[in-house]
Amino acid sequence: MDTSIYWPTFLFWFFAAVCCMFAIGVVLATNIVRMAFYLVLSLAASSGLFFLAGADFVGAMQLMIYVGGTLVLLIFGVMLTSQAKFVSMKTSQFDWTLAALAGLCLLAVLISAALAIPEWKGLERAEAESLGIPQTATPLGMGLLGARVDAPQRSGYLLVFEIVSVHLLVVLVGAAYLARAKRKRSTAVG
Amino acid sequence: MITLPLANFLAQPVGVSQFVIVGAIMFTCGAVCMATKRNALGILMGIELVLNGANINFIAFGSPYLRSDAGSLGMDGQLMSLFVIVLAAAEAAVALAIALNFYNNFNSIDVDRANQLKG
Amino acid sequence: MDPQTVIPNLLTIAWLLPLASFVIIWIAYSLPQLFGSRASYAIQPYGAYLAVGTIGLAFVLSAVTLLGFWLPTYPLSSHGHAEHGEHHKHEPSGHDKAGHDAGGNENHDSSDDSSAHLLPSHSTSSPFRWASETTASATATHHDAASAERPHNNTPPPSISGNWYTLAKCGDLEITLGYYIDALTVTMFCMVTLIATCVHVYALGYMHDELQEFTDPEVTTHDGKKLKRPGRFHRFFQYLSLFSFSMLGIVLAGNLAMMFVFWELVGICSYFLIGFYTERKSASTAANKAFIVNRVGDFGMLVGLMALWSTLGTFAFGDITREDGTVEPGIFSQLHTKENHYHLEPSPGMIQWAARDKIKEVVLEKGGAAIPATIEELRHDPNHQYGHWLLLIAGLGLFCGCVGKSAQFPLHVWLPDAMEGPTPVSALVHSATMVAAGVYLVGRAYPIFIPEVLLVIAVVGSITLFLAATIALTATDIKRVLAYSTISQLGYMMLGLGLGGFVAGLFHLITHAFFKGLLFLGSGSVIHAVHTNEMTEMGGLRKKMPITAYTMLIGCFAIIGAGLPIVHLGYFGLSGFFSKDAIIEQSFSHMTRNEAPWLWLLFLLPVVGALMTAFYMFRLWFMTFAGQPRDQHRFDHAHESPRVMTVPLIILAIFAIGVAWEIPGINLSVPKLLEQARPIGTLATVEGNLMSELVIPTEHDSHAFEIRLPAGLMASGMAAVGLLLAALLYLWRVVDPAKVRHNLLVRPLYALLWHKWWFDELYDLVFVKPTLWIGRFVAGFDRSVIDSILHACTWICRAMSVIVDVVGDRTLIDRTVDGIASYTWRGGLSLRRVQTGRLRQYIMFLVVGTIILFMIATIWRAAVAG
Repeated sequence: MDTSIYWPTFLFWFFAAVCCMFAIGVVLATNIVRMAFYLVLSLAASSGLFFLAGADFVGAMQLMIYVGGTLVLLIFGVMLTSQAKFVSMKTSQFDWTLAALAGLCLLAVLISAALAIPEWKGLERAEAESLGIPQTATPLGMGLLGARVDAPQRSGYLLVFEIVSVHLLVVLVGAAYLARAKRKRSTAVG
Repeated sequence: MITLPLANFLAQPVGVSQFVIVGAIMFTCGAVCMATKRNALGILMGIELVLNGANINFIAFGSPYLRSDAGSLGMDGQLMSLFVIVLAAAEAAVALAIALNFYNNFNSIDVDRANQLKG
Repeated sequence: MDPQTVIPNLLTIAWLLPLASFVIIWIAYSLPQLFGSRASYAIQPYGAYLAVGTIGLAFVLSAVTLLGFWLPTYPLSSHGHAEHGEHHKHEPSGHDKAGHDAGGNENHDSSDDSSAHLLPSHSTSSPFRWASETTASATATHHDAASAERPHNNTPPPSISGNWYTLAKCGDLEITLGYYIDALTVTMFCMVTLIATCVHVYALGYMHDELQEFTDPEVTTHDGKKLKRPGRFHRFFQYLSLFSFSMLGIVLAGNLAMMFVFWELVGICSYFLIGFYTERKSASTAANKAFIVNRVGDFGMLVGLMALWSTLGTFAFGDITREDGTVEPGIFSQLHTKENHYHLEPSPGMIQWAARDKIKEVVLEKGGAAIPATIEELRHDPNHQYGHWLLLIAGLGLFCGCVGKSAQFPLHVWLPDAMEGPTPVSALVHSATMVAAGVYLVGRAYPIFIPEVLLVIAVVGSITLFLAATIALTATDIKRVLAYSTISQLGYMMLGLGLGGFVAGLFHLITHAFFKGLLFLGSGSVIHAVHTNEMTEMGGLRKKMPITAYTMLIGCFAIIGAGLPIVHLGYFGLSGFFSKDAIIEQSFSHMTRNEAPWLWLLFLLPVVGALMTAFYMFRLWFMTFAGQPRDQHRFDHAHESPRVMTVPLIILAIFAIGVAWEIPGINLSVPKLLEQARPIGTLATVEGNLMSELVIPTEHDSHAFEIRLPAGLMASGMAAVGLLLAALLYLWRVVDPAKVRHNLLVRPLYALLWHKWWFDELYDLVFVKPTLWIGRFVAGFDRSVIDSILHACTWICRAMSVIVDVVGDRTLIDRTVDGIASYTWRGGLSLRRVQTGRLRQYIMFLVVGTIILFMIATIWRAAVAG
C-alpha cells in the first residue's frame, strides 16, 4: 500500500474546496458584483476538476465559453441593471430557512445516492497510475462530426451538433431582438 | 514522498462518488441561490451553478480515471458536457435579454416585483 | 203456396210494417230536429198518415192470414167447447180417426182411456145440456188420475214455429229471433192491429192540437204564464208505431228471450207515451212510476227465465227443425212428453238438478250411463216431488213479470197514474194491448204452470179484481174509473186462467180489448169536448154528443156482461156476456171440485166484482151523460167530436157487440179459435203435486148445464142489481150519493176507497222513502267518507311531492350539484393562490418537487428491494 500522497487526489480536494466554497459564497453574498466574482472563481475551479477527470478539452471550453463568455455577459448585465440607487433586496428569514431546509434535504438525498453505488468507489492506485494521459480533442471533434473513434459501436453526435448550432443561432437572434434598444418611454407597468 | 497521518485519505485515487458529491454541492448551492435571490441576475447565477454541477456529474461519469469497469460513459459524458455548456450560454443570453427587458420596463431588477402572472 | 212459409212471412211483414213507419217518421221528422230544422206543421200529418196506413195494412195482412191461409189449412172443429152462441149439432169432425171418440175433439189422443172420454151426449144435445155423462167422465178421469195410469191429455195444437235469425250462440244455448204461430197468435194479431188502427185514426183527430203551437194548461212557467211549446204531432205517431211493432213482437215471439226483449220494448214505449207531455211533472213522474214498477216484475221474470233455461236448455216454445233434419224440442215438448201422455211433468234436466246429490251417488257407484234410469225412478218417487219445486219457481217467476205488466196486485199502482198520457194512449196501451201482454204471456206459457202456480195466479187475479172494483166505486176522474176498471177486468182474466179456464181467460182478453178501447176512446171524446176529466163537472152530455153517448152505452152493457137467454136459440148477449160468464162458470166448476172453504172465495169475489162493475160503470155513464149538467159553461161549449173520432167509436162498438158471436156460414168464432190454440197438455183435470188437495178441473166441465145455469144466473143477476143500484143513486136520485158518503158508517169505508186503500202511501213509506233515505245516506257517505279518503290521498300525494321536491330535489340533488360546482370553484380559487407570480416560489417548488420525487423513488426502491 503506497501511502504517499497521490497528487491527483490532493489537487481534486483543493479544486473541490475552492469550487464549493465560492459556490457557497455566491449564495451567501448580498452584493451582486461579489456574487459574480465568486461565481467566476467557482467555475474556474470546476474547470480544474474537469482537467483532473481527464476532460481536457471540455475543461478548456469551460474556461473559454463559460467563464470567458457567459460570465462576462452576466457581468455586463449586472452593469446595465445596477443603474438605480442601490436598493437593498433582502430575502426574508423565512424564505432563507425554507430554502436552506430544502437545500439540505436535496443535498442529503444526492449525497446518499452518490455514496450508495459501490462502483463509484474509485480505482486502485496502481491501476490509476498505469493510465496514460488522454488526448480528447480529436476524438471529441470526430465524434461531433459523426465518427466515433473511441468506441465505434456508439453513435455519433452530428445531428445533435447541427441542432445545437441552429439553436444557438435562433437564440442569439431572438435575444438580440428581445434586448434591442427601444425608444425612450416612461417605465410602463406590464 | 510526504506521508500524512490520514494516509488513505490522500493516497487513494478519487472515485466517481466524490465528483458527484461536489456536483451535488454545486447543484444545491445553485438551487438555493435560485430560490433566495431577489435579483434576477442572481437567479441567473444560480442557474449557472446548477448547470455546472450537472456538468461535473457528466464529466465524472465519462472519465476513465474514476471507474475501473467499462461502465463509464467515455466520450459521451464529455460530449454531453459540451452541449450543456453551449446551451447554458444560449440560455444565459436569452435570460439576460428578458432581464434587461424587465429592467427597462419596471426600472427594477427585483423579481418579486414581477408578479403580473399572479393567478 | 205452402202455408208453412206464407203464414210466417205474412205475419212477419205485418209485424215489421209499423217498424218501417217508425223509422221513416224518425228519419224524416225527429232526426232533422236534432240538427235544428223542424218540419213545418203542414207536412207533419203525412207522417201520421203513414203510421195509420202501415197499421191498417198490417191489419189487412193479419185478416188475410187468418181467413185466407190459417183457416183453410187448420180448420176449426165444428163444435167448439167454449161456444155459447148459436146451437150447433155436434157432428163428428172429418178429421177424427176411426174408432175415435165420436164427435170428440180432434185434439184427443187415440190411445188409452179414450172411452172414458166418450161424450155420447155431444152427438145429440144442444150445448145447454151436457148430460151428466160429462161429470161422470170427469169423475172417471179423476179416478184414473188417482190410479197409476194417467188419462190422456190433448196433443200439441197446430202451430208453425221457426227462427229468423240467431243473435248469439254459446255451445248448445242459442238466442234467436223466431216465431211461434198458432191460432192464438193469429187471433191476437187481428185484434191488436184492428184496435191499433182504430186508435191511430182516432188520434189523427184527438191530437190535432199538436199541429200548432201548443199551450199546456197544466204547466206554468216561472213568470206565471202557461207554457207555450211547439207541437209534436209526428212524435206521437212515431211512438205509436214503435209500440205497435213491439206489441206485435210479443205476440209473434217464438221464444222467451225474444218475448222478454219486446216486453221491455213495450215498457219503454209506454214510458214514452205516458210521458208524452214531458213538461208536466205529473206526466213524467207517472212515466217513471210505470217503468219502474214494471221492472220490479221483470226481475221475477228473469228468475223464471233463468230456471227454465238452465234446466231445459232452450227458450223456444215450439220444436225447431234444423237443416240436417233433427228436431230440437222446445219448452212445451220437453215438459209434456208423449211418454207421459202429454201431462205436465218435470223434464229430466229438472229432476237431475233437483236430485243432484242422489244422482252424484249413483254416478259414483254405477257410472254415468245409469243416469236416465235413475231419473225415471226418481220421477215416480211418491215421497219427493223432484222437479216440481223448480217448475213452481219458474212459473211464479214468469207470473211476476205478468203481475208487473198487467197491473195486478201488488204492482197495480202504476196504471191509474198512467192516465196522464193522452187518451189514445190509454185506449191502446193501457186497456187493450200492453196490459193484455201479461195475460197473453200467461196464456202462451200455460203448459209450464203447475196447478199450484195456477192457484197463485187465480188468487192474485181475484184480489186484484176486487180491490180495483172497490176503488172505482168512488173515483171521480173519468179516466181513473176506466183505469181501475181495466185493472179489475185484468184480474178477471188472470182469475179465469188460474182456475183452468184457458179459453175463458183469453176470450175475455179479446172482448175486453174491444169494449175497453171503445170506452176509453169515448171518454177521450168527452174530455176533448168539455176539457176536463172530472165527472163532477159533466152531466147531461148525451144531448150534445149522441154518438159518443150511445156507443159508450154499448160499451157499458158489454163490460157488465149484459145478455139474455133466448129459449130456442141459446143466449143473446154482448161480447162481455159470453166471456165473463165463461170465467164465472169456470170458477163455479172449480168451487165444486175443491173442498177447501177458502177456495170458495175464488167464486165469490168475481160475482161480487160483477155487481161492483155494473155499479161503477153505470155510475160513470149516468154522471157523464144523464141528468142535469153540473157545469153550465162546459156544457154549452161541448160538441160532438169530428167524424175521424166517432167512426172508430162506431167500429169498436160493432165489435163490442158481436166479437163473441160466431160468424154464420164460415166456421169461425173467437172461442173456437182459442180452443184450437189450446196448448199441449192443458185439457185434462189435474191435481196438484205439492198441494195434493188442489184440483183444477178441465175446462170442458164448465160447459155442463148444472154449472152453466147457476153461474150464469148469478152473474147476470149481480149485473142487474148493480145497474139498478147505480140508477137509484145517479139516475133517479132516489138516494143522494153525497148523503151516503157522509154517513158515519160509510165514511171510513169511503175514505179507504177514496185513498185507493192507501197503497201509494204505503209503497212510498216502505219503498220510496227508505230508498231515498239510503240514497241520501250513501251520497253523504260518499261525500264525507269516500271523498275525505280521496282528499286525504291527494293531500298525501301533494305532501309527498312537496317532500320530494324540498328534501329530495332541492336539498339533496340541488345541493349536491351546486355543492360540486361550488367546491370545484372554490377549489379552483384556492389553487389559484398557488400562482403567486413570484419566480422564486416557483423555483422553490421545483426543488421541493425534485426532492419529493427522489424520496418516492428511494422509498420505492427500498420497499421493492426489501
